[in-house]
Amino acid sequence: MSREAGTQPQPSALRSRVTDAVWFVAPLLALVAAWAVAVRTFHVPLRVFPSVGDVLLAGLQEFQRGSLFEHIRQSLTRVAVGTILAILTSVPIGIAVATNRLVAACLAPILRFFAVLAGIAWIPIATLWFGYGFGAITFVIFNAVFFVVAYNTMLGVASIPQVLRNAAASLGATRWQIFLEVLLPGALPNIVTGIRTGMGYAWRGLIAAEMIATNAGLGYMLFLARDFYRTEVILLGMILIGTIWLAMDRLILAPVERRTIERWGLARRAGA
Amino acid sequence: MADLVIRKLGKTYFDLYAGRHVTAVADVSLEIHTGEFVSIVGASGCGKTTLLNMVAGFIPPSEGEILLGDRQVKGPGPDRGVVFQGFALFPWKSVLDNVAFGLKMRGVPRAERLRIAEEYVALVGLAGAESRYPTELSGGMQQRVGVARALANSPELLLMDEPFASVDAQTRMTLQEELTRIWEAKHPTILFVTHDVDEAVFLSDRVIVLTRSPGTVRAEVPIPLPRPRSWGRLVEDGRFKALVARVLALVRDSDPPTNPAGGQERSG
Repeated sequence: MSREAGTQPQPSALRSRVTDAVWFVAPLLALVAAWAVAVRTFHVPLRVFPSVGDVLLAGLQEFQRGSLFEHIRQSLTRVAVGTILAILTSVPIGIAVATNRLVAACLAPILRFFAVLAGIAWIPIATLWFGYGFGAITFVIFNAVFFVVAYNTMLGVASIPQVLRNAAASLGATRWQIFLEVLLPGALPNIVTGIRTGMGYAWRGLIAAEMIATNAGLGYMLFLARDFYRTEVILLGMILIGTIWLAMDRLILAPVERRTIERWGLARRAGA
Repeated sequence: MADLVIRKLGKTYFDLYAGRHVTAVADVSLEIHTGEFVSIVGASGCGKTTLLNMVAGFIPPSEGEILLGDRQVKGPGPDRGVVFQGFALFPWKSVLDNVAFGLKMRGVPRAERLRIAEEYVALVGLAGAESRYPTELSGGMQQRVGVARALANSPELLLMDEPFASVDAQTRMTLQEELTRIWEAKHPTILFVTHDVDEAVFLSDRVIVLTRSPGTVRAEVPIPLPRPRSWGRLVEDGRFKALVARVLALVRDSDPPTNPAGGQERSG
């Protein structure tokens, strides 16, 4: 909300944010420069590694054919659908589990086990159940996000002091109102952290799954290019995969996480 | 409005560390009348917070009963407002939304509940801070929000659990004076738990002294000091000093003989 002065980017905060961005991008640009110089100096053949120009040209061609957008759209749709389904189911389940100490204690190791189990481990069974395509890949994404968010939601609820529930109950809140007004907002910082972590897993799982189980998407584009020795398309795909994730993470997920944690008072504002 | 009646109340729980049953509160009977300000004092560990938590409905008693008017206390409810030692404000809600919380739970329309909440925010001297968040406030200001939140819900009984124990001494005296001012203006029924004898005598109509382990009523001391009360007037007042000395003697007399200094305050 805009009325709180502390979260507004003030001149100094804005400057430090710009500085941060420059420091983040500069090493990447240096890497590109080193790449350009190395390919030219050592006369690396295109079949081994493409030059910067080859990759830019490939990007332009794929863009003009419209296939690039189609691959990106397919990948992003799968991530969005899988993630949204996972959030809608894992948050209520995480809260329900956490409100019963015994159930929470029993389920914590199980959730944790599946949370660290890589998304791609689900591909074989997913393709058996859903066939090749949208269903199998979305299932992989769903699993990557679901268990991490459920586990973090549970941790979040468990970290809400009992005294806050007591306060709500003594002010007349029903069980359902305590769920909506105390447990859900109280666990939100952890939920957001879970979503950020889960989407990181999901994005990696997506690329792997698309190499195996579909005929569209960034992972597929990457894998298909290999068959034609098109190293410039492979590199293009890798750069896009990394760039899209960094953009999502740094422009959307990280700021949301930071703001929730600040607002909830779990971390003091920088400099305060 | 209704009187609070506590009959033969006891609480025994299993202490995991000691590996045996411990009686925290035993055979407590007392009455608090409508509009009365009653404090419970006792050395730390005497079960006074356990007693308050049973009245609030947070923990069930092992024996006896608690009646508010003709209703038996079975769990927490909006008829008993609670002010907590650690404030227990909702960190994701603004001052105004914290104060309006109880009214929202009870379905009061938004415009009306915000109007009432503003009134109580002003009553505790926080006008202008409505849109701030708890972490942006000092401890003293947070507890003003805690008091406003409990009062805005118009409870029949206000339970205060060492509410000023975690603020500095200067702020504590200001908050005590403001609480007397509010009580003198509105006469809510208050059950106030503290280990601070000066505070209990300053605020109350009646002070109840608990013995230590198990906590049971040792004495009741009426406080017939005139109102309005202020520290400026009472700090040199002979009657105030005499009452403090008397209550303090009762509290210290209930200490085990091995600990003549009066015991360190433990949290919890």
